[in-house]
Amino acid sequence: MTQLAIRTRTTPAGPVVELTGELDYDSYTQVRELLPGLALLEGQQLVVDLAGVTFCDSSGITALLAARNHALAARAGIALAAVPGHISRIFHMVGLDQVFTTHPTAQEAEAAWTPPSTHP
Amino acid sequence: MGESGDSESGDHRPPGRRPEKPSGRDPGADHAAFSALLEDSAEDLYEHAPCGYLSTLLDGTIAKINTTLLDWLGYDHGDLVGRRTFSDLLTVGGRLYHETHFGPLLRMQGEVSGIALELKATDGSRLPVLVTSTVKTGGDGQPLLIRTTVFDARDRRAYETELLRARQEAELEREELKRLNATLQQTLLPPTLVNVPGLDVAAHYHVASTDMVGGDFYDLFPLSAGTWGLFLGDVCGKGAAAAAVTSLARYTLRAAAVYDPDPAAVLGNLNTVLNHEYNGHDPRFCTVVFGLLTPEGGRGGFRITLASGGHPPALLLRADGSADHLHTPGGQLIGVLPDAHIATATVHLAAGDTLLLHTDGLTEARPDRARDADRYGDDALLDFARALAPTTASAAVAAIRDLLDTFGTGVDDDTAVIAINVPRPTSEEQP
Repeated sequence: MTQLAIRTRTTPAGPVVELTGELDYDSYTQVRELLPGLALLEGQQLVVDLAGVTFCDSSGITALLAARNHALAARAGIALAAVPGHISRIFHMVGLDQVFTTHPTAQEAEAAWTPPSTHP
Repeated sequence: MGESGDSESGDHRPPGRRPEKPSGRDPGADHAAFSALLEDSAEDLYEHAPCGYLSTLLDGTIAKINTTLLDWLGYDHGDLVGRRTFSDLLTVGGRLYHETHFGPLLRMQGEVSGIALELKATDGSRLPVLVTSTVKTGGDGQPLLIRTTVFDARDRRAYETELLRARQEAELEREELKRLNATLQQTLLPPTLVNVPGLDVAAHYHVASTDMVGGDFYDLFPLSAGTWGLFLGDVCGKGAAAAAVTSLARYTLRAAAVYDPDPAAVLGNLNTVLNHEYNGHDPRFCTVVFGLLTPEGGRGGFRITLASGGHPPALLLRADGSADHLHTPGGQLIGVLPDAHIATATVHLAAGDTLLLHTDGLTEARPDRARDADRYGDDALLDFARALAPTTASAAVAAIRDLLDTFGTGVDDDTAVIAINVPRPTSEEQP
C-alpha cells in the first residue's frame, strides 16, 4: 500500500492542502473524501501543494479534477503549487497545464490571490 | 445467533451453576444451604462430571474411568479398566498422533492440554474431543500415573466445519467474480480484429488483476468508402465504475465515427458525452487516440490521421530502422472540460512502417517490482522501440508481451497495445 499524507491549513486566501507521497488509485479517495469538509468561501482560492508528491497517475488526476470541480462549485478559484517536473510533464501531455493555474510555491499562490472586489 | 435469554434460562442447569446469592448474608448459613442443595460427594462429581475423566498407568492401561466418558462411548466399566489402553479408544489417525506427539510431549513436559482427538464409540460413531493430560508424580518426583480430562468437542467441530464451508463458499464466489470480470472485460474488446486489406494488425490486452476490470480499450472497424477507424484508450480508475465508462466510450466512438469520421470531431463528440455524464466529486475521463486509416492507392501504404485527447504519444517504427514518438501536443483529457482541445497529426505509413499505440500501464510499470521502484517510463519505451525497428505488427506486439512478462507483478495497471504495419512487398522479403 502506498502512503499519502494530507495536511490542511487555512489562510485568509483560502485553504491550502499539502499532499505528500503517491497520488494513485490506492490513495486518491483520501483526497476526494476530504473535499466536502473543506471550508471554501466564494471568491477564495483553494491551493493544492504538490511539492511532496512522488507519483501521480490518472487516479491522481481524478483527485485534482475533483478538487477543481469542488472549487468551481463553491465559486472559488483553484491553484496548484510546487508542481514537480514529472507531474508537469503529465499535465502537459494531457492538456491540463491549460486548465490549472500553477505557482512555484504555496506562498506565491497565496500572494497572487486577490480578494474579491466588493463592488460589482 | 438466534438464542434468546429466555431459552437459556429455561435450560436445565446443575445446582452448582446457580447464580450466586447476593452478598451480605451469613457465610456459615450460606454454606449449609449450599451443601444441602448439592448433596454432592466427590465421588458423584467425579462419576457424573460434565466432562470425561480417566486415569491411566504409565503404559497407557486404563486404571479408572468416569461414568460420563463410559456413557459417551457406550462401554461398561469392566470392558475397559485393566483391559484396554487409552490409545485403544482412539481412531487410527488419533492413535498415530498419540504415539508420535501426545505421548512424547507429555513425558517431556508433564502435561499436554487442549489436543483435538477423536474417540471411537462402541456403536462405531466418532466423538471429537479435546484432551488434557497431566502426569501425577509421587513424593520422590517419579511419575505414577496419567490423569486425563476429555471434553466433548462436537459443537466446536461443527463450528469449524461451518467456518470451512463459509470459506469454501467465499472462494467459490471469488472465482465467480473473476469469471464475471473476465467476461465483462471481453465485452469491452473486439473478439477478433478485422482484416484490413494491405495492413498487418496485432493487439494485446494485459490484465493486471483478475479481481478488477481494467479501463483500457481498443477497436479497429470499417468505415465508409474503404476507410477504417482505429482507437485505443484508457479510462481513469478500474472496477465496475470504470468499465461502465469504458463501455460508453467504446460505443460512442464507434457511433460518432459513422456520423463524422474526422478524428477531431469523433473525440469532440466523446468529450461532450462524457462531460455531460460525469461531473462533480467523481469525475470520469479517459485518454484516447483515434485514427482514421485511408489506403493511398497510387503511392501505396496508408494515410493515417490521428487525434489524441491526452493520450501518451504513439510510436512510429520506420522501415529504415528509426523510431520516434508521433507527438500530438496539446490534446486534452476527454471528458474534463466542456470544450476540450483535440490535437491531430497526419502521417504516411509506407511499406515496412509500423505504428504502435499503447496505454500507460506499460510505461508506469515498475520493472523492479518494488512498491517504490522507478517506473519504466516513456524514454525507456522509445529506446526499446528503436532497438525493435524495423518490425512487423505481430513481432512488435510479441516483443511488448515479452517485456510485460519480464515486469511480472511490476505491472499494476492494465495495458493495451495495438500495432499496425504495412507489410513489405513479398519480393523484398525474399532477396
